[in-house]
Amino acid sequence: MSAIPLRVLNDPAPASGRFSRRLSRYGGELRTASVTTLQVNVGKKCNQACRHCHVDAGPQRTEVMPDDVMDACIQVLTRQPSLETLDITGGAPELHPRFRQFASAGRALGRNVIVRHNLTVQFEPGQQDLPEFFAASGCEVVSSLPHYTEDATDRQRGRGVYDKSIAALRRLNAAGYGKGDGLVLNLISNPVGAFLPPRQEDLERDTRAYLGDRYGIVFDRLFTITNMPIERFAGWLQRSGRYDDYMERLDTAFNAATLPSLMCRNLISVSWDGRLFDCDFNQMLELGVEDSAPSTIFEFDLAQLAGRLVRTADHCLGCTAGAGSSCGGSIA
Amino acid sequence: MSAYFDDKDLAHFGDLKDHAPELWERFMQYYGPAFEPGLLSKREKVLIGFAVAQSSQCPYCIDSFTQQALEQGLTMKHLGEAMHCAASLRAGITLAHGLVAHNIDKKVSM
Repeated sequence: MSAIPLRVLNDPAPASGRFSRRLSRYGGELRTASVTTLQVNVGKKCNQACRHCHVDAGPQRTEVMPDDVMDACIQVLTRQPSLETLDITGGAPELHPRFRQFASAGRALGRNVIVRHNLTVQFEPGQQDLPEFFAASGCEVVSSLPHYTEDATDRQRGRGVYDKSIAALRRLNAAGYGKGDGLVLNLISNPVGAFLPPRQEDLERDTRAYLGDRYGIVFDRLFTITNMPIERFAGWLQRSGRYDDYMERLDTAFNAATLPSLMCRNLISVSWDGRLFDCDFNQMLELGVEDSAPSTIFEFDLAQLAGRLVRTADHCLGCTAGAGSSCGGSIA
Repeated sequence: MSAYFDDKDLAHFGDLKDHAPELWERFMQYYGPAFEPGLLSKREKVLIGFAVAQSSQCPYCIDSFTQQALEQGLTMKHLGEAMHCAASLRAGITLAHGLVAHNIDKKVSM
């Protein structure tokens, strides 16, 4: 195990060229197709501090999207109808003071608004009516539940998170979510450790049976996501001596069939301070869009962003390993 | 070599091919398909592999099948139950062999 300091992992330069070598056999580059999703990270403040978090989010973080950036995002959505989806993430995006206004603006423009909702934020002051807000505005809710068992979930997200998550899911169900009636509740599961996720369909089946039998909870889909070897998860890999083995696991599991469906093909990611990135992971690595493309939301130009060259590094192996990984689950 | 068992050995399992290549190939042609999904799912086969590894006390196999089980969405809670299946069966097997003693005693004793 080589002792790689965390900042080296955050360097835009590929750490070992593993992904480049894999990609070189399939054209050597990744380019976006049409951009249909505007993913906005409204800040790094979160009521939780999960061990795998690629954002390094937590209660002490102070980065919050300012008004002019959020207004610019709304303006971009207004003039670009081909941006079909507004994907709001964080941190816990609900803690942004203008979150509800932002989500409502997206819905008023007729967009599919996805909220990446950690469930437990429902129990923060002033957030108790979130399920009702989501339902009234028609947002799609995507919630993290690493595993259907308590022990595994609490080990990753903190003691007591499982019980709170179950209570929050029940409240979402009570508000009409997850019942197949148009209010979509999807779950996100990521491995509790340095290994790949199971087959999405299998875990979805088991989770549906377990949560349904024990708690009467229903949901629409479950998506599996691979842990990205960046930020807090990378720190854990390094401290526990597992970094090299994990990268080897991702590398050997490279699956070229994932390449056409990678989320960077159809997404542009906006940081809390308005910069543009190919994905939320590149955002955390400060790996901005290619130099010839607009670099901030204020200069947003869809024609220039479509077909752009995606900036890649070794962490991209996380999206191409096994059945692949994206904000919408497995892709191959 | 500082120990008889080393976790890094597992990556060199294939080196054994050098000593009997044809037999090795036959083994791999059998071993690989045996763990492919069939009437039993991949996960069921991995759990069987884990329980046999525990029962056979093979550290390489326990390492491999634990990691495979985690990638099948199983946790140590699941594997804990599987361990007790293996352990209780071993206990039952030990006890069941007592029937041999029981029968011998019946045969030769007054």
